[in-house]
Amino acid sequence: MRRSTAAAVGTLTGAALIVGVRLSVQPPAAPAAAPPPVNLVDNPSPKPSGSASKKPAAGKKTTAPAQNKSGLKDGTFKGKAVDYPYGTIQVTLKIQDGKITAVDATYPLTGNSATINPVAIPKLKQETLQAQERGNVAAVSGATYTSAAYQQSLQAALDSAKA
Amino acid sequence: MGTAVSIELADDLPSPELRALIDDVCGWLHEVDARFSTYKADSEVMRLRRGEITAAGGSGDLRHVLSACADLWRDTDGYFDAYAGGQLDPSGYVKGWSVEVASARLAAAGSTNHYINAGGDIRMRGAHPDGGRWRVGIRHPWEADKLSWVLALNDGAIATSGTYERGDHVINPRTGQPARGLRSVTVVGPDLALADAYATAALAMGEPGLTWLAKLATDGYDSAAVTDDGRAFTSPNLPAAV
Repeated sequence: MRRSTAAAVGTLTGAALIVGVRLSVQPPAAPAAAPPPVNLVDNPSPKPSGSASKKPAAGKKTTAPAQNKSGLKDGTFKGKAVDYPYGTIQVTLKIQDGKITAVDATYPLTGNSATINPVAIPKLKQETLQAQERGNVAAVSGATYTSAAYQQSLQAALDSAKA
Repeated sequence: MGTAVSIELADDLPSPELRALIDDVCGWLHEVDARFSTYKADSEVMRLRRGEITAAGGSGDLRHVLSACADLWRDTDGYFDAYAGGQLDPSGYVKGWSVEVASARLAAAGSTNHYINAGGDIRMRGAHPDGGRWRVGIRHPWEADKLSWVLALNDGAIATSGTYERGDHVINPRTGQPARGLRSVTVVGPDLALADAYATAALAMGEPGLTWLAKLATDGYDSAAVTDDGRAFTSPNLPAAV
């Protein structure tokens, strides 16, 4: 998932990401009811923590409006929600002191999109090592034993039981 | 070679015929030993080492084994290496291959239900005498009288490579040192020669072998492995007995 969201961020934000931006993936919220998409450039989302200069009565953010040298207003801003074949991805930026300090992306995990994986590296699954009794096996596979070791082996016990 | 071989024929055939089949398997294994043993000065492998014969002028079996070892060296990224000790020693391939061929000869001669266990490498065909699949235990890597898994197959091969019997006999070719990280690797698949070579190669890789083993599953080779510190890993479709 990390790979696809990184690509989405690249596409949405256009210009090269600020060096030092940390991309992390948030645990998904219910994806169906998407908030109204807000274009990052035009206006920051008023909901989470908009610039105080825009909505002084918002009450969610108490810091003074920050018109920084970089031209970026402090706050948390959502990019335009973009529809991909497997769902909608929306990127959120956090800006402090005129710098992007965090980038997050939400991604859908329900339905078909849950089956879209990044290139899955096949893995063996870990389990608890068992120590079972011999039971009714016909043969035993183990590291190659010498003829001498065979005498003590489980295989020998099986062979003599059948003789 | 000193390898103990156990054979069970489950076919409903007359005793003399069964005995003849067993004799044929033993004869074949002795022929393999005479040709490939590095402990017999006049074996074909030793004569090849000394330059008395060329590979091209060798027997069909020798040429097949050399070709298979080359393929395995490539497919295991060098972790299976018949020249690891400096001189040709194809034993790691020959062990499983000789049993794979023995089973094929038995099938051709009329035994379609059997298993052969040569020193822990097993090739089975058909059904157990009770009509069900062959149930095979994998020896626990620490407790000699216990099993860590029980598998069930009709046709196929099971090979186990481990450090608990002969100690540091598997070398990691990258380090030149005895392999560390995995204590036991079992590979299950259609061909015992390949299963055996894959198990040995994975053991040589150490813990990175776990990732390599996982990739074999798409080629029909499943695996079960135990690390030196007692963690157990299996491929999703390992034919474990329920």
